[in-house]
Amino acid sequence: MSDEPTEVEEPADGGGAVLTRDDVSRELAQHPERLPMLPGELRPHPTPRQYVLIAVVLVVITALEVGASYLEGDVNSNLIIIVLTVMAAVKFFLVVAWYMHLRTDLLIFRRMFITGLLLAGAVYMIALLSLHAFANGRGGG
Amino acid sequence: MSDASLQLPAGAQVEPAHGHGGGAHESNLGVTNAKLGFWLFLSSEALFFGAFISTYFLYRGRDSLYLGGPKPKELYDIPFTSCTSFILLMSSLTMVLALAAIQRGDHRRFRIWILATALFGLTFIGGQVFEFTEFYREGLSLHSNLFGTTFFTLTGLHGAHVTVGIIWLLSLYARSMQGRLSSEHSEAVEIAGLYWHFVDIVWIFIFTAVYLVPAN
Repeated sequence: MSDEPTEVEEPADGGGAVLTRDDVSRELAQHPERLPMLPGELRPHPTPRQYVLIAVVLVVITALEVGASYLEGDVNSNLIIIVLTVMAAVKFFLVVAWYMHLRTDLLIFRRMFITGLLLAGAVYMIALLSLHAFANGRGGG
Repeated sequence: MSDASLQLPAGAQVEPAHGHGGGAHESNLGVTNAKLGFWLFLSSEALFFGAFISTYFLYRGRDSLYLGGPKPKELYDIPFTSCTSFILLMSSLTMVLALAAIQRGDHRRFRIWILATALFGLTFIGGQVFEFTEFYREGLSLHSNLFGTTFFTLTGLHGAHVTVGIIWLLSLYARSMQGRLSSEHSEAVEIAGLYWHFVDIVWIFIFTAVYLVPAN
């Protein structure tokens, strides 16, 4: 990273050029309300208005989740589980991308996060499968 | 300069890393050590909670084989837990608004939003204490059955993390009141925010996996 305050140089391990000079200029010109950038960011953080919009989406998805859980008995429970899992995943990625700023931070954070997520998911899924956690006929809860 | 370099337009300011976080050191990746280290810490926390969520799934529905005690369906109050989940989601919004305020140097709004975040967190914890008390009165404890053991361990550990987060937020509020938290320290607020959003996303999965997914 250069010591010059007006230059942002992507680190060697930062993962390729995501933004061009024109992209940054255009974005800052279109959104003068944007915040000053912190170290480790490729783009400025979202605006408060965008934060509120994300919160509205999160609340709507949560309401849909709760509604879907009440369909138990009327709809195949496997279908409910899939729908609930997808909605939880969408909420998860919205918070991580917008509120934890992985969307605007250097690619190194995104790569670390996704690698860790995939590794952890694989390890725990293998553990659960090997312990027959999803086997049928093990008694009702 | 490589092709990946970016030249900001005139008037745009990007301060060097040591300008933020109160003298934080920059790693050779172009980010501060504090932020990089905290992401690594969050990775270990993800593995930690992953183990407990997996354990919950492993023992889920096995009580009827050999243990008594109340079952999830007899205890859960989904509308109540939905309200506390909504409150925790809203606390994530107030957290990012606090960060935006400190980045702009608006200390009055920063204090309002950070205090709101802490109060939302306290409300969530209050709801959890109420829920635990109700479940205990119904006969569920750590020892009553596998559901009790896994439920109290998983949600209790999450509640402990939220409590740590509340203390952290209140300490930032106190630092701001003492004038020891300038906009140059906004990375300290960002890191506290990363922790707060992390406990929020863990709850997103706990809420779905423990409360909403139908029991088999």
